[in-house]
Amino acid sequence: MISSRPRRLTVILTVLIAIFMLMPLLAVVPVSFTPKRFLSVPTGELSLRHYRTLIEDREWIEGIWLSLRIGVLSAAFSTALATFFSLGIWMFRPRFAGVLMGLALLPMVAPPVVSALTLYFFLITLSNFNGIVAYDTMFGVALAHSVMIVPFAVVLVSVSLAQVDRRMDLAARAMGAGLGTRIFKVILPNIKFGVIAAFLLTFVLSWEEIAVTIFITSVDAVTLPRLMWQGLRDNIDPAIAAISVVLILIVIVVVVGKTVVQKLMKKRRAAPHG
Amino acid sequence: MNHTKHFVEDQLEILTENARKGKISRRTFAQLGAALLGTTVLARGTPALADDGQLVFVSWGGDAVDAYDEAYGQPFEAENGIRVRQDGSGPTEGAIKAQFESGNPTWDIVDADAFSAEALGKQGMIEPIDYDVVDKSKMRDGFGWEYSASSYFFSYIIAYDATKFGDNPPTSMADFFDVETFPGKRAMYKWGAGMWEALLMGDGVAQEDLYPLDIERAHNKLKDFKMHVISFWGNGAESQTLMLDGEASMALIWSTRARLLEQDTDGEVNFIWQDGILSPGAMAVLKGNPGGAEAAMKFIASAQEPERQRVMFDMLYQGPANPETDDLIPEDERRYNPVAAGNFEKQVPLDVAWYEENYGAALDAYLGIVSS
Amino acid sequence: MARRFRPMILLAPLLAFLSLAYVLPFAGVVGWSVTLPEPGLQNYKAALADPLVLSVFWRTLRICVIVTLISVAMAYFLALLWVRGSPLVRMLTELCILIPFWISVLTRAFGWLALLSNRGILNKWLEAAGLLDDPLRLVRNEFGVTVGMIHFMVPFAVFPLASAMRMVDERVLMAARGMGAGRARVFLQVFVPMTAAGILGAILLVFVFAIGFFITPAILGGGRSVMVAELIYLRIFQSPDWGLAAAISVILMLAVSALLSLLLKQIRPGAEK
Repeated sequence: MISSRPRRLTVILTVLIAIFMLMPLLAVVPVSFTPKRFLSVPTGELSLRHYRTLIEDREWIEGIWLSLRIGVLSAAFSTALATFFSLGIWMFRPRFAGVLMGLALLPMVAPPVVSALTLYFFLITLSNFNGIVAYDTMFGVALAHSVMIVPFAVVLVSVSLAQVDRRMDLAARAMGAGLGTRIFKVILPNIKFGVIAAFLLTFVLSWEEIAVTIFITSVDAVTLPRLMWQGLRDNIDPAIAAISVVLILIVIVVVVGKTVVQKLMKKRRAAPHG
Repeated sequence: MNHTKHFVEDQLEILTENARKGKISRRTFAQLGAALLGTTVLARGTPALADDGQLVFVSWGGDAVDAYDEAYGQPFEAENGIRVRQDGSGPTEGAIKAQFESGNPTWDIVDADAFSAEALGKQGMIEPIDYDVVDKSKMRDGFGWEYSASSYFFSYIIAYDATKFGDNPPTSMADFFDVETFPGKRAMYKWGAGMWEALLMGDGVAQEDLYPLDIERAHNKLKDFKMHVISFWGNGAESQTLMLDGEASMALIWSTRARLLEQDTDGEVNFIWQDGILSPGAMAVLKGNPGGAEAAMKFIASAQEPERQRVMFDMLYQGPANPETDDLIPEDERRYNPVAAGNFEKQVPLDVAWYEENYGAALDAYLGIVSS
Repeated sequence: MARRFRPMILLAPLLAFLSLAYVLPFAGVVGWSVTLPEPGLQNYKAALADPLVLSVFWRTLRICVIVTLISVAMAYFLALLWVRGSPLVRMLTELCILIPFWISVLTRAFGWLALLSNRGILNKWLEAAGLLDDPLRLVRNEFGVTVGMIHFMVPFAVFPLASAMRMVDERVLMAARGMGAGRARVFLQVFVPMTAAGILGAILLVFVFAIGFFITPAILGGGRSVMVAELIYLRIFQSPDWGLAAAISVILMLAVSALLSLLLKQIRPGAEK
């Protein structure tokens, strides 16, 4: 009851928070139309040159495409590993669970710069044996990202599991359900949102990752953040503002579209004969 | 079962061997290797193996990547058939060290600070410059070192807001530290280099008496002055923003950005050479670099060509390492050249040997003051 | 017999992966703290005696605690609306969470600069409205760093909170209401405790993430607000002293782990309330 309609105070606070969340992004929009070669708010004429760069410059397209692939690969891999791991801890409560958990969270607790060095040495070693999962390759970056993001997935899935009623699983086991049935038919449907959230969060973390990436790539695997950061010492390309505007539009279209579709579906279901 | 496994392993071994010896190219190796393992070819090769015909040149990114490619990379490839690939990761001293320590460096030539290269060279991580290939006479006196060759110059100079100080511009480093006559906020460099010299000059030390730097005196000056510093910038883009937005009325910035700032603001930001700190940029070759020391030295030598250095001046306003280049720069552009006659004399050349010895400790103390 | 090994089927993939790809090479890096430049504990002594290190640790802790508290509180509100609001509210909240989520931290930092700097949009408005004579100093100091970091962390904190809220059993709330508890009471004494795991998860995520941050502080801090991650960067790349860098990292990790082990005990699945 309380919460199906959050109270007015909450709404006001949330509106303030919403302004806080969106303001700096709106400030970026005009920057993307600057006619100049550096980040600036245009004063006179507007220009689409930075949008043209995005379309015409193969670097950016390739960077976006590479980052997408790496993001999906590493998010899927690490979410799967993290889900099974968290399930194992939750279902069996092994001895030394705390130690195991600490191990799983280590890459998150270690300073990213140290992780960068660590993963660099590891990937160079791998490079001696193969050319696929190696330094400066797509799979190499995906592997390094998986290491960096898996702890976040563990936290999210574990949070969801902590809310699951253990008696449900006990009942299933008492009725003779096997491990697979218990996981896939009983527990997973209950933590669905947590697993999806873990995938989304880890994908974004990979999509943004730069501290490690800049160190384990060179001339071949140039991800989107790497392209963006390369200019930091010298001149930041306003194309990054243009990319941001495009992303903002995509998110708006997806979110609004999703809501509209859901609404239509509801109406249809409510109508007598579908 | 076991047979096939052994066969594959065996084949891989032969492939690796051949690739090492350079009998098959890196790409072919990756393709064949992947085929044997039953996977599709997605990799672009093992960096551990030298690809004949490739050098990786590592710079600090941004516009420099395209400039280096155009000025040095493409002409070098046309002459020698060796492709030069540009990596903008930023060859910090630690990154070069990591490359060496990994046992399999993937970088060939780095655009590094001369003092970093000297320090690393003494630890055996940098190949000594082969002065039979690289021509010392094409460098300015005193700017060719054991482990690195100067490839350009840039200065830490005073840029000022001409809308405020147009009628009475600053004329020396003392003016930079004089907030009474020249009101407004200042900006300085976060990583210390050039700043100690500036602080000491601001404190009344003459150019010729700067080295060895009296760090304590410089830091006392910094303690008194830092309240006037709006930002300690860590990269060129940041320093530019501070002047463009008018947040600082004077800043110590890289001379390579001064021309751009002047252009981008239609002259609202101006600069002076007086009391600038002239620093060399240098090229160095990693020990055991994948492309081989010989090719790398050849590349450095090729970058001494005046016509090519001129392209770097045109694109990035790097002061040329080779004095002959100065004459190729048109009359009206010469005032942007940090090493041109008339500009050079006004400045202090940065003492590479002092930095090699003292940079780490001095930076530590500097940041301690900046961040407290 | 076999039963004892069954947990391993689930645990092994992650443990094997991390051990091989991370823990082993990481142990080598940590080892430097006692081997470089020579065997001994001198790096730890040097780190603990260095006033720069101590002041940086203190600043980092201070900023991260503030950032964690504020962003988790903000995220709690947003998550609440996202999970339990009307479809329209839900959609708007989703935009607030997902739009910043996708935008590069670099772009966002520059957005804040454009908004808050001395000549930025906000100061211009305030001056035009006659409310100010001198611009407010909102960035290039610790305040700017804190604002930028909070903005980055909120969407991350929303996810564990929303996960937890989604699993709150509606019937419990109705029962509480049915027994005559007021709205505020049900919210504070029933709903919030039921989302405790989410809150702890969010705190863990944000705090640990914030500790490792240094891009936002570097851009919005005006070079002054050096945080521990940047200090380690300095020691590894700018003026390398790998032994000292490793020692600082170990000290940091021990401190963070000690702080978090308390929290972890609470959210570890299986720790029954």
